Amino acid sequence: MPFPSTGADDAFDYLFKIILIGDSNVGKTCVVHRFKTGQYNEKQQNTIGVDFTVRSMDIDGKKVKIQVWDTAGQERFRTITQSYYRSAHGAILAYDLTRRSTFESIPHWIHEIEKYGAANLVMMLIGNKSDSLDKRQVLFEDACTLAEKHGLLAVLETSAKEAQNIEEVFTLMAKELIARNTLQLHGENPPNSFSLDSRPVIASPSVEKTQCSC
Amino acid sequence: MSHIRLLRKAAAFKHAGPKHDDLDRAVCVIEYEEKTGRAQRPLSPKQNVRKNLDFEPLSTTALILEDRPANLPAKPAEEAQKHRQQYEEMVVQAKKRELKEAQKRKKQLEERCKLEDSIGNAVLTWNNEILPNWETMCCSRKVRELWWQGIPPSVRGKVWSLAIGNELNITHELYDICLARAKEKWRSLSTGGPEVECEDAGFSAADREASLELIKLDISRTFPSLCIFQQGGPYHDTLHSILGAYTCYRPDVGYVAQNAWQELLNMTAGKRDKGQISCCASCGTETTCCVGKELVPQVQGMSFIAAVLILNLDTADAFIAFSNLLNKPCQMAFFRVDHGLMLTYFAAFEVFFEENLPKLFAHFKKNNLTPDIYLIDWIFTLYSKSLPLDLACRVWDVFCRDGEEFLFRTALGILKLFEDILTKMDFIHIAQFLTKLPEDLLSEEFFASIAAIQMQSRNKKWAQILAALQKDNREMEKGSPSLKR
Repeated sequence: MPFPSTGADDAFDYLFKIILIGDSNVGKTCVVHRFKTGQYNEKQQNTIGVDFTVRSMDIDGKKVKIQVWDTAGQERFRTITQSYYRSAHGAILAYDLTRRSTFESIPHWIHEIEKYGAANLVMMLIGNKSDSLDKRQVLFEDACTLAEKHGLLAVLETSAKEAQNIEEVFTLMAKELIARNTLQLHGENPPNSFSLDSRPVIASPSVEKTQCSC
Repeated sequence: MSHIRLLRKAAAFKHAGPKHDDLDRAVCVIEYEEKTGRAQRPLSPKQNVRKNLDFEPLSTTALILEDRPANLPAKPAEEAQKHRQQYEEMVVQAKKRELKEAQKRKKQLEERCKLEDSIGNAVLTWNNEILPNWETMCCSRKVRELWWQGIPPSVRGKVWSLAIGNELNITHELYDICLARAKEKWRSLSTGGPEVECEDAGFSAADREASLELIKLDISRTFPSLCIFQQGGPYHDTLHSILGAYTCYRPDVGYVAQNAWQELLNMTAGKRDKGQISCCASCGTETTCCVGKELVPQVQGMSFIAAVLILNLDTADAFIAFSNLLNKPCQMAFFRVDHGLMLTYFAAFEVFFEENLPKLFAHFKKNNLTPDIYLIDWIFTLYSKSLPLDLACRVWDVFCRDGEEFLFRTALGILKLFEDILTKMDFIHIAQFLTKLPEDLLSEEFFASIAAIQMQSRNKKWAQILAALQKDNREMEKGSPSLKR
């Protein structure tokens, strides 16, 4: 999949495309904003279609460039956003742990990814707004059960507002993708051309299912 | 009335933070319009003061040459003479400096007055010449040129209304009816009473509440930095009313169950027969819209359009403009997320993209950067989310003049303006850049860039290209052998 680099200063060892999906107003854009700028913006506008963010991370001495495709959560936009799943390496599924209905939509989102995404796509589940635990409507155990059932990589409860677990989400995703990629990489592929076909990849044992304690 | 509207807008700019220039200009326009409003009267003293600012250097009084204190021996005459000379030179220098600064200030003031004059003159032209003779004048060359310069804020709403038209023949009365329906619904939801209306059979109370909640969330996330549409803000209720009334008017696009629409039709039918209400949306060409539609939420993006209209029009007129605007083919395609038709629009856009900016077009192709990546946001919100508000309003001005093709021309203008930077970027940086445009765009440069875009491709205009592509699509669907390659 061609994602050419612009020049030497922009060099990277890995490039991953991550899509961020979930119901409207679970805080997807705030999570990305926190990841990108380290800040929290309470006054976030609606996402129409998809917003893009790119950030480089240093993971075990490797420069990893992460593209985040932050999609609009609204049902109406799904026919549009579906077409963006295809080339993604990873998907972060987000729900709002203070609104049960957003969690109940997760199986539906998983189904969408299974239908439109690549077969070896890595999925993670995040329950955002962990700063409002007094309003909790979704038990962490329930989220773990769901994640295990669908073979997701991990579940994390996050707070974009209080910067809880945001870095961890992306680091974990990147580590897993590197591990999987390394298994494939001993061919002739240069490191930045992470192959995007749908061949099954052996899951790496290097990253355990991680669950945060809450 | 229009003055109040401007002031409100000025307040909005104040909230926006860095846009103090806009604020100044908005306020200054108000002053001027007040004057031109009573143009027959002698000029106000304020204006005289502002226009005849003759310079008188003042601060030389701060430089005073004094003799030595009496308890010290006096300076020798020679030294005293030298000091006097030095003093005089200092005064001359200070005067020069002050004069220069004053001239600079005067020039700025003159420029500002000139700008005010031109806006003031434009207001007069629009009010006295163009608006009273709209039908005959709106297409004249002179008016089109003036239109391109930007419509003065005080007449903007009026011009938009006239240009958008009222094909749907919506009356203020119909707006009141739709709003009353919406309010009834909200009441029944908020009191948590029993199922009041049979129309909602099949939808759980939770579904409806979720939809209602979505409107609320949408409103709170519309121009959040302006702080005027949020809960407690001056326009919160207005925006809520318009979006609510629209969901009753167009349930297929809005969020209300279709049965409600039928009821509304029945309700208004009697009045329509008497000629009080002429027609509603679905009796027109959109025949399939209400049939078998499930409960769908408010479409995000709509609230931005309603908000911009509210800033320029009274509530009922904003509703009329809103409904008619969303009824335009391009907006219908997008808000009903007619994917096929949207792709046709993108394809037409690409024809002109390649024609106008072949190098950048090739670069985008190479990077797999498709137009949907940036056009969806731009077209859905008519640029009101991605451009500074004053610039977005000017895009709307010409959009009202030229129709949908101007939306795509604007897109090409943006790409042209940033062509050099964009050709050096890779996929993700382009996508990131275009979905978050720089905030310090200059209107002159911006419109010069749009003006340089030709909306003709091999002697074919936008509408022709679009129609041809649509025809191709239809024939493809029918499986015409001539087009199957």
